[in-house]
Amino acid sequence: MSYTMFSAFEFKRKDTYIHNLDPRTKMFMTLIFMTVALLFTSIVPLLITFIATLIPVLLAKSVKEWLSSLKGTTMLLVFILVINSFVRDLNFAVAMVLRLIVLITAFSAFFLTTHPDDLAQALIQMKVPFDFAFALSMATRYVPTLAREAQTIMDAQMSRGLELQRGGLTQKIRNLIPLIIPLIVNSVRRAMSIAESLESRAFGAIKKRTYLYQLKLTKGDFLFLCFLIMYFVTMIYLKFYFPFTTWMEWKLPL
Amino acid sequence: MVLIEIKNLSFTYANTEEPAIKNIDLTINEGEFVLLTGPSGCGKTTLCRCLNGLIPHFYNGEMEGDVIIDGLNTKEHPVYELAQKVGLVFQDPENQLVSLNVEKELAFAPENLGLPREEIRKRVEETLQLLKIEHLRHKAPYELSGGEQQRVAIASVLTLKPKILVLDEPTSNLDPKGAEQVLKTIKKLNEELNVTIILIEHRLDLILPYTSRVVLMDKGEIILDAPPYEAFCSSIPEEIGVDVPVSIKLYNELLKIGMKFNKVPLSTKDAAELLTEVLK
Amino acid sequence: MIEVADLWFTYPEGTIALRGVSLRIGDGESIAIMGENGAGKTTLVKHFNGLLKPQKGTVLIDGVDTREVSVAKLAKKVGLVFQNPDHQLFSSTVEEEVMFALKNLGFTSEEIKERTNWVLKFLDLEKYRERSPLSLSGGERKRVALASVLCVKPKILVLDEPTIGQDAKQKRKLGELLKKYQEEGNTVIVVTHDVEFASKYFKRIVVMAKGKVIADGPPNKVLTNPTILNESSLTPPQVAILSYEIAKKINNFPKDIVLFNDLLQEVITRVKR
Repeated sequence: MSYTMFSAFEFKRKDTYIHNLDPRTKMFMTLIFMTVALLFTSIVPLLITFIATLIPVLLAKSVKEWLSSLKGTTMLLVFILVINSFVRDLNFAVAMVLRLIVLITAFSAFFLTTHPDDLAQALIQMKVPFDFAFALSMATRYVPTLAREAQTIMDAQMSRGLELQRGGLTQKIRNLIPLIIPLIVNSVRRAMSIAESLESRAFGAIKKRTYLYQLKLTKGDFLFLCFLIMYFVTMIYLKFYFPFTTWMEWKLPL
Repeated sequence: MVLIEIKNLSFTYANTEEPAIKNIDLTINEGEFVLLTGPSGCGKTTLCRCLNGLIPHFYNGEMEGDVIIDGLNTKEHPVYELAQKVGLVFQDPENQLVSLNVEKELAFAPENLGLPREEIRKRVEETLQLLKIEHLRHKAPYELSGGEQQRVAIASVLTLKPKILVLDEPTSNLDPKGAEQVLKTIKKLNEELNVTIILIEHRLDLILPYTSRVVLMDKGEIILDAPPYEAFCSSIPEEIGVDVPVSIKLYNELLKIGMKFNKVPLSTKDAAELLTEVLK
Repeated sequence: MIEVADLWFTYPEGTIALRGVSLRIGDGESIAIMGENGAGKTTLVKHFNGLLKPQKGTVLIDGVDTREVSVAKLAKKVGLVFQNPDHQLFSSTVEEEVMFALKNLGFTSEEIKERTNWVLKFLDLEKYRERSPLSLSGGERKRVALASVLCVKPKILVLDEPTIGQDAKQKRKLGELLKKYQEEGNTVIVVTHDVEFASKYFKRIVVMAKGKVIADGPPNKVLTNPTILNESSLTPPQVAILSYEIAKKINNFPKDIVLFNDLLQEVITRVKR
């Protein structure tokens, strides 16, 4: 279970226009989609936003992966729908669900198409210190490894008769000890072993490190940025200067 | 030319009482292929860590004696400097491959040294070609087989252009075919580039024909240092629980029943030839 | 007895690990399951104690469908030891580590005591009884992990890659212990890459490749067959290579010897003739 959850947002290498965009362009894209989603609270404009957000997912040929990351959040979506229809009304609830879907889509469009190493490189070129960017890329690198390890530990202890669901609350918490201790011990051992290997490859030798790759904005990036800005300006205009016509305020026929 | 000189070396890890290695004296020349072996816990790994300065710089403890690598005393030079002389490869490739793409993995070490980009590119390309892993260039570690992973790990230290390669049980986690690939790569580096090899390995049958020297350790000390045919004809490996290759084991047994041979078979192929002669 | 019939299994991310495996393992057998990484070996043995349930096909343990019983219940019959001991050791002493499974499975305190004593003696771990498992060396930790499963005295004992990280002496010791346990009437199954270990201590070799069983038979038939070895990334044991090479040149010299002593005897009798 845990493994699929992680793999939903995992990068998959493909050769598409969106995959080949500079991570910084895509970062900007996600930021714009987020901002726009947060500007509106009614169904129609959020639907338009949603369609706009879907374009990069389609261009990236990642619909299947996007759907699986949405599937992972179904529970959350249902929860938001129910809570909001109680607190406000169904219209608002549907709008909020749409907003969340837009946010998830915007993030998937980034993470599904951006190589974690490229993300790290982008951060470095945005003047984030190397140590920080490197830690981030290491974290993404080892998340699946840790998830797999956690699964193996669980299997090993279940093979020794451990039943996680057994007993009352305190017993249930105690049931976790045989999982947590090996996980910690292994992570520490792994960290030592990784550190040893990094040291042996001259890690931290000098302050001013060089990089094999250098990210550069291309024509494709500028084109995409143009569209993004045009889209953003339109949406801002709609929000603040354009008096909402009736169809924009359309409500569910209840 | 002497590349490695170890003089009266002992090391005790912090928080332990027994020294992990003691009284080690060892001199290794350029181009040698040394097989380092011994029962588990004999101090092999500790000795490897002394060769590129992880001991005493990374691991805490008490060190006596000196290790001199190509003229540099490991006590006085940091690991990153020694790493350009000695490449260290470990058992588990998972913990050595920290990037999500092979090219970047190879570039990692020279990037750390701040080399110019063109130079890094050149080294990466050369190494990819040398180890015949060009087709893997854009792959992530989890897309590689065990043997490929370990060859990438070797490549990732080779971009520092070390004269010495130290490999600590590089094939333990691999299936037989993967192990064979890795051992062939190591042999090639030794033969074609004259890289000095120090290899810890249990699959002696495969590697013995390539080695020029066997160093046997037990309980933290070197107890035997001899050419392969001599090392395994003595009774010491058996006594400390190191496996003797089948070819030599058979040879030893046949000597016992009074047969005579003019040479020691180091490989299964040698043994087959020898026996065919006898049985004809 | 284990009966696997047309077993299929696909992981959630889409990897098809098993593609119609059928296998019958009788009581008291000694079996090595071999093949390259990703052939489906570990996935298969995880079905033996119900950690994974068949998606298609069935797995019966002594006639009981694994889908109908819990892992804990099967654990009394099928002991599964994982490759890395650090994935299971967590107690403060070796003794407690061993008692963990016994307590979980509801043994009486009398039985717990008796079995703990038995297993510590059987695996030569008595001297470490009060030690922390984490302070032991790799080889010893591996023995403690084995003890922590063997204490249940499972009728079927399964070990995943038991020889990784073990030196020659430790391997020999392990091989002999497993043989002894099997000779007491239990089934011992190992998953391994180690052709030397498998040919020396196991009577039946099951080779897997790409989710299927591609060979099943005694070591001298399976581990000397080039087609099978090629398909599964295995290499023949050194003794087999030697016997094969000699057989090419010498008339009616057997080409499928896998045990060292058999080869030695063969050579000696021929020389003396």
